Amino acid sequence: MTGTIVVNGREHELADGETVAALLERLGVGGRFALVERNGEPVERRDYDRVELAGGDRLVVARPVAGG
Amino acid sequence: MPAEGEVIHDPLVIAGREFSSRLITGTGKYDSPEVMREAVLASGCAMVTVAVRRIDFDEPGEDITAQLPPDVLLLPNTSGAETAEEAVRAARLARAGGLPDWIKLEVIPDPRYLLPDPVETLRAAAALVDEGFTVLPYVLPDPVLQKKLEEVGCATVMPLAAPIGSGRGLKLRDSIRIMIEQAEVPVVVDAGLGSPSQAAESLELGAHAVLVNTAIARADHPVAMARAFRLAVEAGRAGYLAGLVEEQETAAPSSPVGGTV
Repeated sequence: MTGTIVVNGREHELADGETVAALLERLGVGGRFALVERNGEPVERRDYDRVELAGGDRLVVARPVAGG
Repeated sequence: MPAEGEVIHDPLVIAGREFSSRLITGTGKYDSPEVMREAVLASGCAMVTVAVRRIDFDEPGEDITAQLPPDVLLLPNTSGAETAEEAVRAARLARAGGLPDWIKLEVIPDPRYLLPDPVETLRAAAALVDEGFTVLPYVLPDPVLQKKLEEVGCATVMPLAAPIGSGRGLKLRDSIRIMIEQAEVPVVVDAGLGSPSQAAESLELGAHAVLVNTAIARADHPVAMARAFRLAVEAGRAGYLAGLVEEQETAAPSSPVGGTV
């Protein structure tokens, strides 16, 4: 483990070298769209399997929901 | 005007893209995703709005976009944003995650009437257009604001008919009429329409499209109501194209005046 990250306000242990894609898989986020913001900046979907997370990162994971 | 019986090619065109329907629907407030899907299909709409929210990992729910037909354009909204910065942040998040770069811009600081902030909406619109978004802003029907939004490059202007979810119809009709008269981009009447006749009235007035959510989703029979709105929008548009007669203060007989028996 290389520290902790905060995802949607909740603390998680971070695996060594864990990417955004790996985190989404670990959290069970499926579906067509997973939207990710890392430390206030959006992460491009094409980069999910390249961006490695670091201890202390704060993430928002969102997705489309029903709305008007 | 085409001859009677001729098939009219009269698509809604926004930012150079053609839509087969002038009805846009929201996906909120349905009892289930399955009913939402059936209603979207019955409405014939070619664009639907979705919101963007954080996933609650204790109750992740389901991916509603999986329920939607693939040829329907997803239009993410910025609901929840109370400032331009929050709206821009939501739009960037949606686009980065693979949603379309079309955005229904709504900046709403007021929880009672859910009225949009015109200053923050204009600021956000300018920033988002600069970043390459196709911006469809939700606004009070203000013809001056409309011009400013057009100037910064918005693809539509979407005035409310009445407060969101109120079902009160074209309460701000006169201002919307002015907007239609001077429109350089499509005017989409968004919010407050409660019945198919009010949608038809909007199209007869010359609105280019309407956006409806609550009136369909909360109807006793949402799928049947979706169909009713589809028919009303088609009728309203056809009536507008056919040319309405002018209102008169006095009667004008429809039968011959002379030769009575």
